[in-house]
Amino acid sequence: MPKINLGAERIKQLNDKIAKSKEIFQQAFDRFSVRETRLIWSGGKDSTLTLWICRQYCREKGIELPKAFTIDEGDAFVEIDAMLHTYAREWGVSLDWGRNEDVLKAANHTLDAEVQVADLNERNQAEIKRIGFDLKAFPFEAESYVGNHLMKTVVFNTYIEDNAVKAVFQGLRWDEQKARAKDPFFEDVEAAELTPAHTRWRPILHFTERDIWDTTLYFDIPYCPLYEKGYRSLGAKTTSLKSSDVPAWEQDLENTEERAGRRQDKEKTMARLRQLGYM
Amino acid sequence: MKHVILFTIDALRRDTLGLYGNTQGFTPFLDSLTVDSAVFTHAHSVAPYTQASFPGILTSTYLFDTPREQKLSEKRTLICEALKRRAGVNEITTAAFHSNPYLSGYFGWNRGWDTFYDSMQDEVEDMSPYINGNAINQKIDAWLGSVDTGKPLFLWVHYMDVHEPYVPQRRYIDRVDGSIKLSREQMFALFKEVVLARDVSNPQTVQLLRKLYQAHVCEVDEYARQLFTVLEKHSVLPDSTVIITTDHGEEFGEHGGLSHDGKMYAELVHVPQLIVNAPEKRGESCDTLVSGLDIPPTILELYGLEPEQSFQGSSLFPLSRYPEKGLYGEAVGKLAHKIKETDKPAYYYREGQWKVIYRQEEYSWELYDLDEDPQEQCNRIGNVEAAEGLKHALEPRIGREPI
Repeated sequence: MPKINLGAERIKQLNDKIAKSKEIFQQAFDRFSVRETRLIWSGGKDSTLTLWICRQYCREKGIELPKAFTIDEGDAFVEIDAMLHTYAREWGVSLDWGRNEDVLKAANHTLDAEVQVADLNERNQAEIKRIGFDLKAFPFEAESYVGNHLMKTVVFNTYIEDNAVKAVFQGLRWDEQKARAKDPFFEDVEAAELTPAHTRWRPILHFTERDIWDTTLYFDIPYCPLYEKGYRSLGAKTTSLKSSDVPAWEQDLENTEERAGRRQDKEKTMARLRQLGYM
Repeated sequence: MKHVILFTIDALRRDTLGLYGNTQGFTPFLDSLTVDSAVFTHAHSVAPYTQASFPGILTSTYLFDTPREQKLSEKRTLICEALKRRAGVNEITTAAFHSNPYLSGYFGWNRGWDTFYDSMQDEVEDMSPYINGNAINQKIDAWLGSVDTGKPLFLWVHYMDVHEPYVPQRRYIDRVDGSIKLSREQMFALFKEVVLARDVSNPQTVQLLRKLYQAHVCEVDEYARQLFTVLEKHSVLPDSTVIITTDHGEEFGEHGGLSHDGKMYAELVHVPQLIVNAPEKRGESCDTLVSGLDIPPTILELYGLEPEQSFQGSSLFPLSRYPEKGLYGEAVGKLAHKIKETDKPAYYYREGQWKVIYRQEEYSWELYDLDEDPQEQCNRIGNVEAAEGLKHALEPRIGREPI
């Protein structure tokens, strides 16, 4: 029994979307060998669906499943960790974990601890300089400007460089935020200082948040239990907030902001206050 | 009236409006509303800056009712929450549109609204670091097109356009003083170097800042006109009571400072307030002493709903039942843009013609006779007879700030 009742028309729509995603995987594997690719899997609903479709595609084609890569920013929900461990095992996914150990160590694995730039290794110092940050210290927080760069971007770049990764699959969607509305299904990223050349593939770009939930529930795809508790978008633990007490899929997905509970909010609000001279 | 609209304009000085006697013609539209409005001549904000004033306007509570904290306390009830509780969850459609970071979702002000737009996800320029009134009006236009206006609406609109930095557009500057030829960069430099520094050493510069501010007032008057056009277009206006006020005023050197600090003087807390399509006193002025705290209870009354226990103000209507009372205000007595943890509270109490102010930082008392000295320039604290009663009324509130 599916967890959700959908009409035949809707089921066909979802199947068409899944077929479209498989076409994107097809195009990617026409250009790259499986070993050159990685699937970015955060444990959230979007990347889990991407993995589920990828796995189905690989089984249909009789090819090996790409390795998955997840980034531990040092501020993860235990529920997300559990989700990744459980389904990596159950689905036979080879999962690599990426961490910026140097920063974690300098912060003594403590959120909001002050990290002295001078304590960091050469690479991290160069990265901080590259993004135009010229202070001597910053608080360790995964989703601040510096934190986001060091804990995610740098970890990602280092990983694809060290592992000669040529293409990555991302679970991004057009409707998740305005800035994404024009993203292409695949994009070649040119090599730049500290960024190796690679191609980004977005197989579920055309799924809406509603499509994600309908597909997940209808096909009984696993999801992190936090969504059931009212979270709609999962990022770092201290910066993700519940948007409601009802499950994500029962919320007003069409008329409210998916990422309202994600505190890019904090950064942006603080930036505004600074512009007004209050900080 | 079916709908209620709360229209707040951040940092709007009362004396820039024609309806309060300004003769320079900055606000023809707002002035034209007086025909259908009750104009309050003695309205007071509970505090001189946003974070301390808005608990009054939207939750009918004072700043120090809960410990000092950045986020809106769960113990305060927002008017939108009270409306849902009193009228039923789906009876009144509520929406908020604004661009003030201190009132953003991040600080908890998004609780209980059906629609809440705080613009924090939008990109803004340094010289104009907020979404302007025109853009807010467009959001409201779209929202009104999407909701059932057959049902009662509660809409809160807040503009940031007169708030510094004062970098108005040329055409508004020309309406105030065509001889001002500053570039945008030069105006912005005044904000950085003079306003933020609270530098009042050059009276000509202060006068120039005042004019740039007034140019923004002209701008806001146009956005207000647009807003009313939008309300008319959706046939909402004839069924709406519109409360127009501000969270605080703005200082231009009257008490040695600029902008809006934790000071309790008239230029910051004696505010404009008019109620368009009011149930009483339309086309008349009302000189009763009223407070920002009275806004949430008034809104409940306008919908015919029962009062909310936690609201400390009183409904303005019916005016005959409005209690005669003194008015309190309290805030952190900061003297710069940024509030420091060590900044001590400041308080005021107003009754009749008298107003007393206490600043805990200096342990200083001030007393003003507003009949003779509405600008609050001459401290009469030596008038023991007048001072005694007011000090007595204010003293119990001093030091009540919970930690």
